[in-house]
Amino acid sequence: MAETVLQTLALRRTFGPLIAVDNLDLRVEKQQFYGFLGPNGAGKSTTIKMLTGLLRPTSGQVHILGRNLATDSVEIKRRIGVVPEGLALFERLTGAQLLNFVGRMYGLDRAKAAERSAELLEFMDLKDSADKLVADYSHGMKKKTALAAAVIHGPEILFLDEPFEGVDAIAATTLKRLLQRFIVHGGTVFLTSHVLEVVERLCTHIGIIQRGRLVASGSLEELRSGVKVAGHDQAPLTLEEIFLQVVGGAKQDAEVLSWL
Amino acid sequence: MNSLRRPTRSAELGLQALWFIFGGGFVLLTCAGFFGGTIGLIKIERTDLLDLLLWGVFLVWQLAPILFEGYSPGLSFREVARYPISFRVYFLLSSAYGMVDPAAITCTLWLFSMWLGVLVARPEWALAAAVALLLFAILNLFLNRIVIGLFERFQSTRRGRERMVFLMFVLLLLPQFLQFVTGYWTNMRVLKLPAWVLDAVLPLREFSPPGVAAKVFLLDGSPEFWALGGLLFYGCLAFLLLQRQLRAIHQGEIYAEAYTVRRELKVSKGWRVPFVDGITAAIIEKELRYVRQTSRLLLQLIYPPIIFLLIAFNGPTRKFISVSRPEGLLAGMAGFMLLSVPNMAYNAFGMDKEAFGRWLLSPSPLAKVLLAKNLTCGGIFVTLYLIVAVVLVVISHIGLVAAATVTIGFLAILVIQLGAGNLISVIWPKRIELAKMNSRMVSNAAGVASLLVVLPLTAIAGAVAFASWYWQLPWLPLLGGLACLAASLKIYSYLLHRSARYAWEHIEEITGNLGA
Repeated sequence: MAETVLQTLALRRTFGPLIAVDNLDLRVEKQQFYGFLGPNGAGKSTTIKMLTGLLRPTSGQVHILGRNLATDSVEIKRRIGVVPEGLALFERLTGAQLLNFVGRMYGLDRAKAAERSAELLEFMDLKDSADKLVADYSHGMKKKTALAAAVIHGPEILFLDEPFEGVDAIAATTLKRLLQRFIVHGGTVFLTSHVLEVVERLCTHIGIIQRGRLVASGSLEELRSGVKVAGHDQAPLTLEEIFLQVVGGAKQDAEVLSWL
Repeated sequence: MNSLRRPTRSAELGLQALWFIFGGGFVLLTCAGFFGGTIGLIKIERTDLLDLLLWGVFLVWQLAPILFEGYSPGLSFREVARYPISFRVYFLLSSAYGMVDPAAITCTLWLFSMWLGVLVARPEWALAAAVALLLFAILNLFLNRIVIGLFERFQSTRRGRERMVFLMFVLLLLPQFLQFVTGYWTNMRVLKLPAWVLDAVLPLREFSPPGVAAKVFLLDGSPEFWALGGLLFYGCLAFLLLQRQLRAIHQGEIYAEAYTVRRELKVSKGWRVPFVDGITAAIIEKELRYVRQTSRLLLQLIYPPIIFLLIAFNGPTRKFISVSRPEGLLAGMAGFMLLSVPNMAYNAFGMDKEAFGRWLLSPSPLAKVLLAKNLTCGGIFVTLYLIVAVVLVVISHIGLVAAATVTIGFLAILVIQLGAGNLISVIWPKRIELAKMNSRMVSNAAGVASLLVVLPLTAIAGAVAFASWYWQLPWLPLLGGLACLAASLKIYSYLLHRSARYAWEHIEEITGNLGA
């Protein structure tokens, strides 16, 4: 049986009267590429923030790598990597300084931090901009820097909030290569994304959240077998069809704007 | 509205309201000054000086919107140009929008006050004055839009924005600096300009926009109609320039970041800092790099000690301080420097902005991060203090016991400031926008809180000094300083952990304020 590396138990987060995440029970196993999907405002970012310690849950528990996040957060943080929603980059450092700094924050010695920073800058095609302040980077460059910062210490799980948003095709390919390599070497990825094609191509397992509740979870095959769509008896369902069926978001022709 | 439910935000709003009340009072007072000034100059028949009032209006109208950029309305006319509106409408909207600026409103009120002054003192000039002031106002409006447009162009890159802010700071501080450098500023003879400078400047003054506008005042039948022509010429020229500038924007002109040169990849190993572990060293390095790579912060750090030395050795206070109580000079310098500490310590995460989240994601406890930030800030201030103190001790022959007493007192108050700064940093965090001139280093509430911290400490220091003098106990300040240093370390430790706890309990509020 595969090792469970991430588990949430009745995880809940409220903001005043608004229930952002409601009794969420997630389970992710080692080497899974887990895509966490949902419409805007469904609770994806709130969930990932609670999983990474950026937000305190109202109730419920988070267990990562067999430890409780509430009581063992320092040890857990040492073993995970995160690309948060706002990227959280120190923009007045150069790309090289930033990666070196993050590496040392995770306990790497000076030589190793510098060596890995150089490798990552090369891999991410950022070496020509290594001496530029991060503030002057384009959005795609910042995304690649954030991902490099998330992996520099060799984490066991990666949490990525919308890693492909606003990234061009070349950068997206680089990110995908890195993530696939990470999985092959025993890592686990938990990502949220709006780009369903990317999720379909990369993810082995998928969870769909709507109004704070997990409404579907499993491998793509499991989801396909659990969802029936009229007119699709032959061809396998795409993730988009499954997603729209589960969250019920597709508008009928009659509902679209009358003047268009 | 939701954010106002938080007491910290309500305090900010209250202080902003106070600023508006002060601002309103300032405008009313200055209007009275322009009104009275105009009447006075006309009554004493010094109408040749009226242009000085107009120069005041001119400079404020053109420079204030740039200096206090953040207080001006934030609508970007680059965005407005995207809407399907004709160029004529766009031009009118853009020009009219310039009147909404607080500086423009203030200047218009000043001009109106001047006109009222003319009406009271010489009613027969009122019509000519109305024409002159109206044309002058329109000219200022057009010019201001041109200046804002140029400013925007310069600000289209981060580097440009920051250079502009740095330049503005230097320009703001330069007059004070020059005043101190020239020394004995009460003696105006020092500031007397050579004749050739005056010869070159005076015609400029006469033919400048304020100069010609003031001349139009005197069109009570006298033959200086050239001045009206000059004012109209300036107005037309500004109109044409603005039209050219706005047309380019309306047609979709964009500014882009400059191309950067490719360089060889080289990642340095980072710094080794004695007596601290690797993580603390990394944070200290990051903090120092932030200071080094932020010219505005550097300027704010080095300015106070330089100005203090100039005051001490070049001003009228020199004799009093250096002869009668040389140790007073050192104590004064210590106090002067401590007043700058809040700028750096009372908003510890303000420069990090969104990257505050990075501290939360890292495996280092927040208390450790704060401690490293404090070590950096404290280290900078102690270094600056020691450099200036050594200079003072050598030059003023301050006794070693007195120097040690002041230094211990300085350290005690610095430690308390850093501890209080940590708590205030998490209660009232503020995102610092380095590219904005008006973006202060701390929130309004933190600024007030810093006074609440400094005042009791000053009172205690004063009480100890008084007791030492009254009971003739020369050793009391040194003993008191040591006791205060011990107490301040204890208080610091408490505040450090309290701040870290508070931050964890209010993560959302802090990240919200810092834009994370």
